[in-house]
Amino acid sequence: MSYIVPIGPYHPALEEPVHARLITEGEVIKDAEVFVGYNHRGIEKLATERNAIQTLVLVERVCGICSHSHAFTYAMAVEKINGIEVPKRGDYIRVITAELERLHSHFLWLGIACHIIGHDSMFMHIWDERELVMDILEKLTGNRVNYAMVTIGGSRRDVSDELRREILDACDKLKAPLDRITEIALTDKTIALRTKGVGVLKREDALRLGAIGPHARASGVDIDVRRDAPYSAYGDFEFGVPVVDSGDVFARVVVRALECYESIKILRQALENLPEGPINLGNKLIKIKEGQAVARHEAPRGQLSHMVVGDGGLNNHRISVHVPSFKNTPTVPFMLRGNTVADAGLIIASIDPCFSCLDR
Amino acid sequence: MQQEYKRIDITKDQIVPIAEKMRKNGVYLVMIHAFLNKEGKMDISWDYAVDPAVESYHVVGETTVPSIGEIYDEAARWPERELNELFGLTFEGLDVSKRLFLPEDLLETQGKGQIMVTPLSELVEKNQTNKKEGSV
Repeated sequence: MSYIVPIGPYHPALEEPVHARLITEGEVIKDAEVFVGYNHRGIEKLATERNAIQTLVLVERVCGICSHSHAFTYAMAVEKINGIEVPKRGDYIRVITAELERLHSHFLWLGIACHIIGHDSMFMHIWDERELVMDILEKLTGNRVNYAMVTIGGSRRDVSDELRREILDACDKLKAPLDRITEIALTDKTIALRTKGVGVLKREDALRLGAIGPHARASGVDIDVRRDAPYSAYGDFEFGVPVVDSGDVFARVVVRALECYESIKILRQALENLPEGPINLGNKLIKIKEGQAVARHEAPRGQLSHMVVGDGGLNNHRISVHVPSFKNTPTVPFMLRGNTVADAGLIIASIDPCFSCLDR
Repeated sequence: MQQEYKRIDITKDQIVPIAEKMRKNGVYLVMIHAFLNKEGKMDISWDYAVDPAVESYHVVGETTVPSIGEIYDEAARWPERELNELFGLTFEGLDVSKRLFLPEDLLETQGKGQIMVTPLSELVEKNQTNKKEGSV
């Protein structure tokens, strides 16, 4: 006999509203549907009545986790329309903030994944280590969220030599805990039993549905905007793109843990080779020239794109923000099928969904 | 270093063949966007990640276009459903029987396509009037 099991829109395992409807037979999920749009905020509409500097503040509020990614991507689109060349040091500081953001986002997700499977000691251990990254972000930007590091034409805050050395020290300090976390993630029986073979998204499905970011890379799809379409200072750095083939929740854990090492690698290169010179072009209010551009950035959850249309005035004529969860959420029903109801919360959370981003 | 962005204007008939070609070549669909241009005409664009560039194919002046959901699956259907709600655009062949982002009561009282084409001040005023009348 079939039952419909509703999850959400408000659920303890989900910090933001989403509604999944599971069609089950016994404990097994036969089919599923996902519904979003419980808190649509109309941010794109608001942006049409704001200038470029005000919009940086606005788009940072699209998401509390990847706030820098939004400001970074929006700024790149406006700079493309206006033909603005960002000073090298400004680009490096943007990348440093972006990679610290990726580290804290991945640590956050790894902790949450452990919490959902009931491995709370691991959750607390990972979040404790995450505080090191949060402290550095606070020293660098003055904030733990909504960093306000980006301005049109560069970065807003410089990195002193003392802070540069401190972040390099933090990279050293992170190595041992990251090794320990990765080793536990790869070898712990509890994690393996709850994640291996669970919520599988096959490579062909990931490609067909347009999955992106770590979610796609855990299904064997080798994509990363930082490498495939280099922007800002990313072309200056060597880094790997971890790809795992199994497509299950375990693969998503492994990919994110390995990506932390690559972020540290990028951070080291950026900090050791931080160019001298200005960080921005004066933080001036500009008119957005007539024209349009799309900028893409590999945010912690995957490719983030901002389309900006300017009409020669101060305000945006139109912005269109497309977030990784917009691409990854439609894959959830495919991952749920054939799994048990008990794993549904974990499977939904395994894409690292951001419904706040989605309901921008 | 800035990413490359190419705008290519096409006709409505070219939307599906281009999508098929891109799909065959393994190109990711970045997104489908729309906006009203200075002349008040709808400008719809299909952005493809032809790395390292974004190729942006534009159709101007149309409000009914074919869906590419059969080619790009949910990667196309979600943005098409979003544009149907926000701009009232029709994507031929797309199932719009369920809402995506906007609440059903808003779609019922204000209709599709109100969000992006109505000035914000008018929307606020309309919402306040509706609240007074108890319809929202």
